Amino acid sequence: MEACTAVEREIDKVLSKFGGINDHAKRCLQDLTCHIENLKEEIGTCPENQELTAGQVLIMKQAMNKVKESVQRLAADHRDLHSTVSKVGKAIDRNFVQDFASTSREDVFSGPDKIMLLNQVICQHFIRQGMLDIVDELVAEAGVKTEPSVKEPFSALNSILDSLKQKDLTQAFDWAREHRESLEAQNSSLEFKLHQLQFISLLQKGTTGQNEAIAYARTHFSQFVGRHEKEVQNLMGMFLFLPHGISASPYAHMLEPHLWSDIVDTFTKDACSLLGLSVDSPLSVSVNVGCAALPALLNIRQVMQQKQVTGMWSGKDELPIEIELGQEHKYHSVFACPILRQQSSESNPPMRLICGHVISRDALTKLGSVNKLKCPYCPVEQNPSEARLIYF
Amino acid sequence: MSVSVSASMKMNDVRSLEHPTLKVPYELLNKKFRAAQKQLDREVSHVQAAALELEKGLNVDAVGAGEITRLLGGMVEKLQVLKRKAEESISEELHVGMVCKRRIEHLKQHCDPAVAAQWRRRRLDRMLVEYFLRRGYYQAATRLAHTSDLHDLTNIEIFMVSREVEKSLSEHETAKCLAWCHDNKSKLRKLKSTMEFNLRVQEFIELVRADRRVDAVKHARKHFSNYEEDQLKDIQHCMALLAFPTNTEIAPYKEMLNESRWDQLVEQFRRENYRLFQLASQSVFTVALQAGLSALKTPQCYSASKENRNSSCPVCQEWLNILAMPLPYAHCSQSRLICAISGLPLNEDNQPMVLPNGYVYGEQALKQMALENNGQVICPKTKEIFPYKKVEKVYVM
Repeated sequence: MEACTAVEREIDKVLSKFGGINDHAKRCLQDLTCHIENLKEEIGTCPENQELTAGQVLIMKQAMNKVKESVQRLAADHRDLHSTVSKVGKAIDRNFVQDFASTSREDVFSGPDKIMLLNQVICQHFIRQGMLDIVDELVAEAGVKTEPSVKEPFSALNSILDSLKQKDLTQAFDWAREHRESLEAQNSSLEFKLHQLQFISLLQKGTTGQNEAIAYARTHFSQFVGRHEKEVQNLMGMFLFLPHGISASPYAHMLEPHLWSDIVDTFTKDACSLLGLSVDSPLSVSVNVGCAALPALLNIRQVMQQKQVTGMWSGKDELPIEIELGQEHKYHSVFACPILRQQSSESNPPMRLICGHVISRDALTKLGSVNKLKCPYCPVEQNPSEARLIYF
Repeated sequence: MSVSVSASMKMNDVRSLEHPTLKVPYELLNKKFRAAQKQLDREVSHVQAAALELEKGLNVDAVGAGEITRLLGGMVEKLQVLKRKAEESISEELHVGMVCKRRIEHLKQHCDPAVAAQWRRRRLDRMLVEYFLRRGYYQAATRLAHTSDLHDLTNIEIFMVSREVEKSLSEHETAKCLAWCHDNKSKLRKLKSTMEFNLRVQEFIELVRADRRVDAVKHARKHFSNYEEDQLKDIQHCMALLAFPTNTEIAPYKEMLNESRWDQLVEQFRRENYRLFQLASQSVFTVALQAGLSALKTPQCYSASKENRNSSCPVCQEWLNILAMPLPYAHCSQSRLICAISGLPLNEDNQPMVLPNGYVYGEQALKQMALENNGQVICPKTKEIFPYKKVEKVYVM
């Protein structure tokens, strides 16, 4: 947050100073023009060849000095803003990382084959998102080939998504009702969220829609009370503020447009898991994980550079640090040997000792003598050959 | 879809990734500022010239009212021009400043949990717009920016300028690129750019190709005479080219006459344009994708038996799997185990249990299965059936 506010502070200064100089220039030049025009009018009344009096000449000279001085100052004032402007640049460089690309390798996604693969991944992402117009553009511009079989499961969903984006709920309601049982089985709140939006749009009509909204709530909300009691309370609370307008009430957040994008997300997610597709787009999962991982990678890189440990991103097979993933992004079991602090592999698999503790095979051979091994975690002594290979 | 990281970390990814989002409009602001200053200085000097002229008119012995009125009229005109230009320039500066401001405001929303998912989605779209632009998929980029309402948040304009230049270069025209060089003269000089020089060389080569060798010499006199120290060798090569036929087989003259030199110019232009706006050579999108694939990549994603793959895991997806091949695996010094049946983590609440065939699953899922199957469990991987009492505990430190 500080990074943004630091830059914002500088940019606010720029905006206010430029605003100031804008007003000042307008006023000052207006005044000067008026002044000169007055003089011109005054002298213009004299006959063409009449000489100016000494007094008039003096006034003229003073006016010229004033003009010269004012315009000069204007240019100088503007020039002085340079430091304010360049402070923005410095604040950006100080607060944001410039060489964020230093941890990655350029060759990973370059070359025609890989570019094409990546484009296909991107296309699939947009097909999932229902943004088929972008897929079409990519097909035309990048020469990506999309097979109809990829699009198929999404085309029905996409038409629903489109209608949702148009803020039309009917198609989505039909779909949700059709799949009600399977949706309930996966604990989906799609139908409730649809009703919620419908209800809010009734409330947005103001007090005129009040009776309709109450009737709506009574017919539809009772079935959801089990799982969404709190939300229902919230929704009904909105009635309190109906006469004065909900936008000025504590419930103003219920009117925000993100509820609509939210329903699009919920729908995509639930429909995908119903169709047995991965719930999130693989591309957005990877990128979001990457965004979360990058700060740590950049940090460790800086530290390692200071300590002159080089070459860690070249020819190595593991990242130098552990990236904390959320539970939902742990897709595979990983067993790390507690003795060697190393991931197990096919050549060094996990072994279960007879006491139940698990260590890797390499650790087992290192710890045990020919026929005697004491478990490193409990007093049990055993023969190393009794340990059993297990699979996570 | 959420990545569970603490609030301070959250801000960090903005810090790590959003430098170009702010720096590019800043560079534009700086450019506008310098242009405005130039404009102002010029108009101010015009006003001052008018003032001097009037003063001169006052210093003669007999000052005629008509003459002074005329001069005053000229002055008013100049002042009005100055006023108009000042207003125009400053409002342009303010406009670019507002772009910066809007982007910061967008970045600040990052911390708002209510819109976090939405924000991340738009971030991906922003990244993709930039990636498309870098790849030259301008239509797709424009369409995406339009659909996701990102026009203010992406650096589309500067790429649109470069698109024009690239197009003209690939049509073997130098004019637009030269205009661009002129436009960014001082910056390019600071970067020690050889863009303009290389364009002039190309023009020279084209004259030779067209067998207008005398014109080529004239061109060389005009543009090569104020060369930099290290360009002398190139200039000598150019001049020597005059002595060879256009179908020569001798290096480096053959290469100089190769049409692909135009493509190199396009490449160079792209690079210089990135440098001009301090854009990295790689897009934020590929950087983030790489980091993400690495962080998710496990040996199982590449295991020979398909059963170890997970349909939800991005790295297990066909295409990403190939792309992630050269990347490092995630580092893991602490076991993180999940039950292959339920997908739930294995821990104190869901003890890992091993079947007699060596496969490990969560206690909860196995118990449930035993309950439904008269105390028997079926290994989902080998389809073997065991009585639940044969299942043993596993302790993972």
